[in-house]
Amino acid sequence: MNPVIQTESLSKRYGRTEAVHDLTLSVPEGSIFAFVGPNGAGKTTTIKTVMNILEPSSGRATVLGVDSRRLGPTEFQQIGYVSENQELPGWMTLDGLLAYCRPLYPAWDTAFAEDLRRRLDLPSSRRIKDFSRGMRMKAALLSSLAYRPRLLVLDEPFAGLDALVRDEFIQGILELAEQAQWTVFISSHDIDEVERLADWIGVINEGRLHLAEPVASLTGRFRRVEATFEGDAPIPSPLPASWLGVERAAHTLRFVESAGGEDDEACVRAALAGATRVEIAPMPLKAIFMALARTFRTNAAGDQGKAAFLPAQAREALPHRWTETKR
Amino acid sequence: MLPFSVSFKPGLSVHEQVVYAVKKACVAGQLRPGDPFPSVRSLSQDLRINPNTAHKVVGTLVAEKLLEVRPGIGTVVSRAPAATRGQRRTLLNEETERLVVEARKLSLDLQEVIDAVKDRWERLDR
Repeated sequence: MNPVIQTESLSKRYGRTEAVHDLTLSVPEGSIFAFVGPNGAGKTTTIKTVMNILEPSSGRATVLGVDSRRLGPTEFQQIGYVSENQELPGWMTLDGLLAYCRPLYPAWDTAFAEDLRRRLDLPSSRRIKDFSRGMRMKAALLSSLAYRPRLLVLDEPFAGLDALVRDEFIQGILELAEQAQWTVFISSHDIDEVERLADWIGVINEGRLHLAEPVASLTGRFRRVEATFEGDAPIPSPLPASWLGVERAAHTLRFVESAGGEDDEACVRAALAGATRVEIAPMPLKAIFMALARTFRTNAAGDQGKAAFLPAQAREALPHRWTETKR
Repeated sequence: MLPFSVSFKPGLSVHEQVVYAVKKACVAGQLRPGDPFPSVRSLSQDLRINPNTAHKVVGTLVAEKLLEVRPGIGTVVSRAPAATRGQRRTLLNEETERLVVEARKLSLDLQEVIDAVKDRWERLDR
């Protein structure tokens, strides 16, 4: 299946600052792809480049099979885009805004728009300038969903939304899955927001993509391991490359095992043969993200363990989706 | 409204948690043989989960024969024999394991755990 968004060695510089570095990523059709990273990691720059709001400094991006620099009305009629700081004409009412958008999109579905408006609990005749932040975001989502886009791109949509509005917003996004072709690309600095929604995760930090993989594979290979020893806990030397964030306190050794694979637990238990108790537990996405973020920081100092967050089977031959940063 | 509820815990796979919740609902009588099972769409919408995950949940439950697809009607809860005591006990395994681990971490002995369970058990009867 063709990826809906594909970037190849995409870089974007602002003067001397490189906001996005050599980013190669593909977003498969029919996925909800969460693009996660701390504030300032390069998420918005990537999205703006992909959406042809910015030009790449080098590399390229294709969207729905078209080079991002050539994206025009035909493509944008099939793409919905909502960003954190969406500008909407404040003097218009919601009805006015929808009437303004309708002729721009051949696939606009008036009945669907009205259904969404009710579900999102938006007033049709109040001016947008009197809308709360949450209402504005919902209005932007509504105007991007009413033509049932093949691709929905959301840049930090949940920032500053209260729990109820966020919930309505998510329900709106899920409406898309009703149609034959749909893909959602959603950026967030908070992995908790997208945990149940996403089936693919890409992690970006300091402009570099650190991983892109299905959520099931990510949660399948990360395990928190805690081992207790009779005496002082030993630290094996050399340390297995897949052990992240190894900590020791008296009798206890704690780390994150990131290799995954069939015999993974057996390997860990074998390496900890002297332990009186070994506990291996699955980890929430948030904890996986934190463990990776700590590793990025450590690795910034040196190259050691650079491949540690890649799954075992990907370490030797790196297929393009297990993107590793090149220097 | 869905005929069963899921209280999501972080760290466990969403797919497994929903499958587990459905099994529990079948055993507890919330879902009975012949009852219509929610569509992929309403599973996804009501639980706010990825539609692909919802699809996988239904696939798993059909494969495990808890649900059956009736052409023209949709997915319904199977007329499988009522859960045996053994099956019901299996559903408790995960919780029991967790309780035992926690109790051992706190260095409680078996009798103290049994007393605590008994206390809770009786409180529900009051």
